[in-house]
Amino acid sequence: MGIVGSFRDAHFLAKHRQSNSTSPGTMAHEESSPPKPSHRFQRKGFSYERLIKYFFASNAGLTIVILVLIMVFLLKEGLGFFPGYRRELETYRIAGLEFVDISRKNLTAHEQLTSLLNRAYFAEINGKSNREMRRTQEASALFNAFSDRIAPTRDLILNNPQGETDANTGMLATLRANFEKQREKALEKLLPTPHLTAGERRQLIDSLRNRPAEAAEDPPLVTTLAAEFAAAQQKNSEPLQAYRSTIDTFESAGADLGAAIMEMTESVTATKEKLQSADILEKDRKTLLSAASNAKDPAEREKLRSEAEAALAEKPDIDTPIQALLERRPDCIRLHQELKTAAAGIISQIPQSLTESDANRLLKAARNAWPVFLADLDAAPQKINRWKHTDMVPLSDAILSFLTGKDWVTGGEWQDFYGILPLAVGSLMIAIVALVIAIPVGIGSAIYVNQFAARREQALVKPVIEFIQAIPSVVLGFVGILVFGTVLREISVMDSLQWVPGFPIEERLNIFTAGCLLALMSIPTIFSLAEDALNNVPSAYAEASEALGASHVQTTFRVMIPAAFSGILAAILLGFGRVIGETMVVLLVAGNRIKIPDFSAGLGTFFQPTHTLTGIIAQELGEVPLGSVHYRALFVVGILLFVVVLGINATAHHFVNRVKK
Amino acid sequence: MNDLVDKPSVAPTTTAAAVEIRNLSFSYGSSQALKDITLDLTENEVTAFIGPSGCGKSTLLRCINRMNDEIIGTRVTQGEILVKGVNIHHPSVDVVKLRRDVGMVFQKSNPFPSSIFENVAFGLRMRGERNKSVIAQTVEESLKAAALWDEVKDRLHESALGLSGGQQQRLCIARTIAVKPLVVLMDEPCSALDPIATAKVEELIWQLKHHYTFVIVTHNMQQAARVSDRTAFFYMGEMVEFSATKRIFSNPRVRKTEEYITGRFG
Repeated sequence: MGIVGSFRDAHFLAKHRQSNSTSPGTMAHEESSPPKPSHRFQRKGFSYERLIKYFFASNAGLTIVILVLIMVFLLKEGLGFFPGYRRELETYRIAGLEFVDISRKNLTAHEQLTSLLNRAYFAEINGKSNREMRRTQEASALFNAFSDRIAPTRDLILNNPQGETDANTGMLATLRANFEKQREKALEKLLPTPHLTAGERRQLIDSLRNRPAEAAEDPPLVTTLAAEFAAAQQKNSEPLQAYRSTIDTFESAGADLGAAIMEMTESVTATKEKLQSADILEKDRKTLLSAASNAKDPAEREKLRSEAEAALAEKPDIDTPIQALLERRPDCIRLHQELKTAAAGIISQIPQSLTESDANRLLKAARNAWPVFLADLDAAPQKINRWKHTDMVPLSDAILSFLTGKDWVTGGEWQDFYGILPLAVGSLMIAIVALVIAIPVGIGSAIYVNQFAARREQALVKPVIEFIQAIPSVVLGFVGILVFGTVLREISVMDSLQWVPGFPIEERLNIFTAGCLLALMSIPTIFSLAEDALNNVPSAYAEASEALGASHVQTTFRVMIPAAFSGILAAILLGFGRVIGETMVVLLVAGNRIKIPDFSAGLGTFFQPTHTLTGIIAQELGEVPLGSVHYRALFVVGILLFVVVLGINATAHHFVNRVKK
Repeated sequence: MNDLVDKPSVAPTTTAAAVEIRNLSFSYGSSQALKDITLDLTENEVTAFIGPSGCGKSTLLRCINRMNDEIIGTRVTQGEILVKGVNIHHPSVDVVKLRRDVGMVFQKSNPFPSSIFENVAFGLRMRGERNKSVIAQTVEESLKAAALWDEVKDRLHESALGLSGGQQQRLCIARTIAVKPLVVLMDEPCSALDPIATAKVEELIWQLKHHYTFVIVTHNMQQAARVSDRTAFFYMGEMVEFSATKRIFSNPRVRKTEEYITGRFG
């Protein structure tokens, strides 16, 4: 930077020396100042002030140059992605992977449906055995916590063999005494057991008190309760036997298709590997050829060229395996039709509803998915027949598949897909949560501080809110993981809160936790800018309003806020930009599951884990091979983020300028 | 509350006091801005406050509707102001309601960044008027009274910021009289206007004074002479002379007044 800076200085100085004598501004300035001994020297352009001016000018210029370089670099690395991805998709088609995926998609749907039905089955049984489950859970939890507390002294006793010498016996006695002491302490503090009767609890505590240190088996009550639970499960599963066998029938109906897919997978994977190694050889050959054409020495050139000739790979044979694959078509179609017949028959055997609400929800989800599944199975034969490995893959397909692809799969053995939809949806949902929290809080506190707070409150609240910005985001991130996520999850399992959609939360790290932390991070941005906007409203407006007999509240809401509206909008937009661009917190707290959230859960969707555009770059960029398609895909994600944030900032700027006019 | 249209015009000789200022002293922090001012503002007359910069005339004006309350560190140290016989510093007085009766027009025109119509309707809406026809009628009457109606009737819903400076100031007057105050305070209303716009505002004041009590602070001696019935001359926070305008400009009692109005200082 120093070198560039001084170079630019010299450049500016040289340029300015030429124009110096004609500049009227400097002439007037120099005439007005009294002549000094160094007058002649200054005219040559080595003015100290000018030097300072050029120093700062060069710094400002440098930032612009760096920004341009960043953009050029991003584009250079990123734009190579689309041709590379196109080639990958072409290989995917030529090798027949795409053909296998037609069937695989249906098999996956079948597996998901089976899983849903199974989950409904177990939810029903466990729901009905809820009382027994709680009782056994509470008893074991109490026993486990007790065991953990006495473990240190108990282990000492167990690890020391029975004493034969006097010294050993003495030591053992001390250890036992310690053990007893710790046991007494542990017995004082035991977990609550609301579902056990007082008598049962007493019995459990007594058994713990009289338990020998060496005992390995569980206390009798724990064992009894576990047995009771198992019996209850057994009893409650009896009325569901028909349902159980239906699920089993459905599960086995997919077995044949699964086996066929397994066989096909092997052959197409082999073809793909051949194609890929041929691609690599071809690339090496091109590198050699270009080196040859650049080489100056004729002998060297000849050597490189012959090497390139030698590297010319024979075209891998792809027709034979593809023909074998295409011969399987009727087979595949038959399997699909069989599965469809089975599935269509089974839906009528599934019970209409179950008694437990959880089970019912899962069952309903399965029932809703069923027609889609059947329609997909129906459409499959046509797709299979129409599929051609020779179809072209245009570049637009690669772009479209990147922008609208629902899968981001990387480093897999089968096929990599770079679809940003799950990441974009994740980013967006986190931003929604963050903004829903941050906008009212940030703007509300800005209004309060600007309009209603006393001076002392202003002096307290403003710096405190603005201080949040100074907290490193990684610190906020681990506070989020350790405190917020855990606390939220513990709250979510409370019985009295089960009416909240999405409770109990399954994943500790999810969209909501990330959104809350990002809200905390964007509140200072929104607050400061909104407060500035209110501050910039001319005081004449407030004066006029109050002179017309408007109260302070009326003035605030009818005059100040409308007048500051553009600025407040800009504050929100910049807060949004900050949320979208934030990386560390989402990487730590969002749960990092690359999947479009299941929107059927309603508001509960916000308690699912997700991944984000920023998070994926931070997570994967360090591990990808330089220059690979995956590496370039991350760059394109970077470009996309850059463009989005730039757009948001430009819009915000537009609103800010409107205020100034 | 008086009425804009139906009120029979009262002879300007009536001496009923709309505002009585009794021994008022006022300070900004430690510096005393007003010293022991006693003054009656006669109903349906125009009273002018003149004096050099910093003499306290604007401060006194802003005391009458307690606009100085908003400035931190200011307080009335002595005396009282009675509007229609009510002490405005009494704890039971609601300052918001006081300002509905004592309106104010500022030195720099300050219309809200909304439409012309909304500017005039603002005061009405703030006191809870919801009847659309009442609002529309009052807006029209006020704009007519402010001699602005013919100029803006076709663009009532355009931004008020598109008006010229003189029109904006007349809009501010219309906005003030739309809520039918008892007293209208004007703080150098013409200082930013050209002579033609100034003449229009002066004419307006002359016409409206039959319905309102005006107080006008001005630096322009001719303006005070043209527009006011009585004139008070202030110097260094004290009221030097207060009498009928004709008299103060033709035959001032105090030497300081004479020096000021003849332009020997100021």
